[in-house]
Amino acid sequence: MAAVAAQPLTTPVQRATAVTAWHARSYRRTWRATITTAFLNPVFFLVSVGVLLGKLIDDQQAALGGLSYVEFVAPALVATTAMQVGTNDGMFPVMAGIRWLRTYHAVLATPVRVAELVLGAMAWSVIRMLVAATIFTAVAALGGAIDSPLAIFAPFAALLCGLAFHAPLAAFTSSPMLEDGSGGWFPAINRFVIIPMFLFSGTFFPVSQLPDWLEPVAWATPLWHGIELCRDLCTGSVELVATLAHVGYLGAFVAVGAALAVRFHERTLLK
Amino acid sequence: MDDAPLIEARGLTKRFGEFVAVDGIDFAVACGETFGFLGPNGAGKSSTMRMIGAVSPVSGGTLRVLGLDPATHGAEIKQRLGVVPQQDTLDFELTVYENILVYGRYFGLPKDVIRTRADELLEFVQLNERRDSRVEPLSGGMKRRLTIARALVNEPSLLLLDEPTTGLDPQARHVLWDRLYRLKQQGVTQVLTTHYMDEAEQLCDRLVVMDRAKIVAQGSPRELIRKYVQREVVELRFAGEPSVDGRLDGLGDRVEVLADRILIGTDDGDACVHAVHERGVAVESMLVRRSTLEDVFLTLTGRTLVD
Ligand SMILES: Nc1ncnc2c1ncn2[C@@H]1O[C@H](COP(=O)(O)OP(=O)(O)OP(=O)(O)O)[C@@H](O)[C@H]1O
Ligand SMILES: [Mg+2]
Repeated sequence: MAAVAAQPLTTPVQRATAVTAWHARSYRRTWRATITTAFLNPVFFLVSVGVLLGKLIDDQQAALGGLSYVEFVAPALVATTAMQVGTNDGMFPVMAGIRWLRTYHAVLATPVRVAELVLGAMAWSVIRMLVAATIFTAVAALGGAIDSPLAIFAPFAALLCGLAFHAPLAAFTSSPMLEDGSGGWFPAINRFVIIPMFLFSGTFFPVSQLPDWLEPVAWATPLWHGIELCRDLCTGSVELVATLAHVGYLGAFVAVGAALAVRFHERTLLK
Repeated sequence: MDDAPLIEARGLTKRFGEFVAVDGIDFAVACGETFGFLGPNGAGKSSTMRMIGAVSPVSGGTLRVLGLDPATHGAEIKQRLGVVPQQDTLDFELTVYENILVYGRYFGLPKDVIRTRADELLEFVQLNERRDSRVEPLSGGMKRRLTIARALVNEPSLLLLDEPTTGLDPQARHVLWDRLYRLKQQGVTQVLTTHYMDEAEQLCDRLVVMDRAKIVAQGSPRELIRKYVQREVVELRFAGEPSVDGRLDGLGDRVEVLADRILIGTDDGDACVHAVHERGVAVESMLVRRSTLEDVFLTLTGRTLVD
């Protein structure tokens, strides 16, 4: 038998990092397109809703737990910023890699394994989420909407929230059941999942304002947990039990989503 | 070690659900050889290539690539493999050069090594002038050449080429053949699939003819021609549908009636042409040529290759 000459294999981390580096390089060509969604939109919301609309409702501070309206909204937008990035990255690059450009097939022709491909892509998204959430947090802090020093941890909470969208969506997008490779689903996901969550999961008003039957639905969304985490950090009112519960809930989304994503990538790409 | 096969398949089978795409085939590829899979659409060529490339699990039989089992040692095999898939998988957003840089990293090559090789490889496939262009606007032949260059970045011992020249113009094909021939001279073992007989004849030391998931013949191009067909072929073309009303009976050793022409396999083409004239068959044109693999294929399967 022609035995393989001893050739050092790279480690899984090195291979996943190579995948991350690839995404980073591709991003150099597309970053302009993401500026609006990742950086400008959150600031627009902060100014229009938080500051300008907030001026009209600022005397209702009791319902907002003693916060001014802009202080209430700004932390939530840290979380939604990461959600946007995670949602985008769980769908478009995955679909492009598997079906549109088929670049993921090229990666798997090399020693890179499926889990390394999936996690390497996620790692790139993590970097994007961290950068976007950090910039937004800094902008909000400079504008006076955030003032707790604990807010420096908010981008990490936000990235957990973003991954809770990225991982399940990457699983969905890579699913072998998704025969239609056109991406025709994506606008529907945006319209019926992402935007309703954005509007009703505690971004612009406390979920206690929702009808009683809807409130538990809001609690079930990963975004609500992400927003609560960020809000607690940005307002400096962190409670251990609540924090652990939020982190655990989001972590479960990430873990189950990532495991399914690896499995579905495998089934779709290696058949 | 040198005479041990680089690839060995026994009873190799691929199923997609109930459907059998590769049906218990046996073959072996020796070190340094160029080995071809020839067959019509859907014969199972790509399915076989993907199993060799460890990106498609084997459904039955055994397969050893570089002495290893793809099911358990996929990464180790791929470390020494170069793959040119049937459909391009280049990153259109990146430049020509970047495509090679990014790919080399998956093999754990140091950056400076990749840079040096990328320059050499782009020279080799004559793309150095397009080094910094984005991939998307490149022509099909250029993309194909880039895919080949990319597949060589890890200096593979085994190169898998799935229809390397399909869709290219004749000149681009000849450039590619020339590059593949040079690789062969450098000792790179190659496995390729093709629909083109001339390509198989040019490039392959040995080949198998696949049809409907099975191997129907194997040997060197010359052996196959000697074994399955006569020395020459007389091609008759007609103004309309070929109609001969039995007037060709007994001519040559083998007569194939196709949609647009009739082929007569014979060891003496001139005599056959003479006989066709004598019998007063109303042909529009007639020519004598040497038999090719295409005729082998026709004999074996009753069908033409490119449909
Ligand atoms: N992923 C798949 N799922 C189901 N059937 C498949 C799959 N891939 C290939 N097949 C079927 O297996 C058969 C062999 O396909 P394969 O791609 O191996 O043929 P091929 O010889 O490469 O053909 P071509 O010359 O057209 O590339 C075809 O009937 C094809 O439809
Ligand atoms: Mg094929």
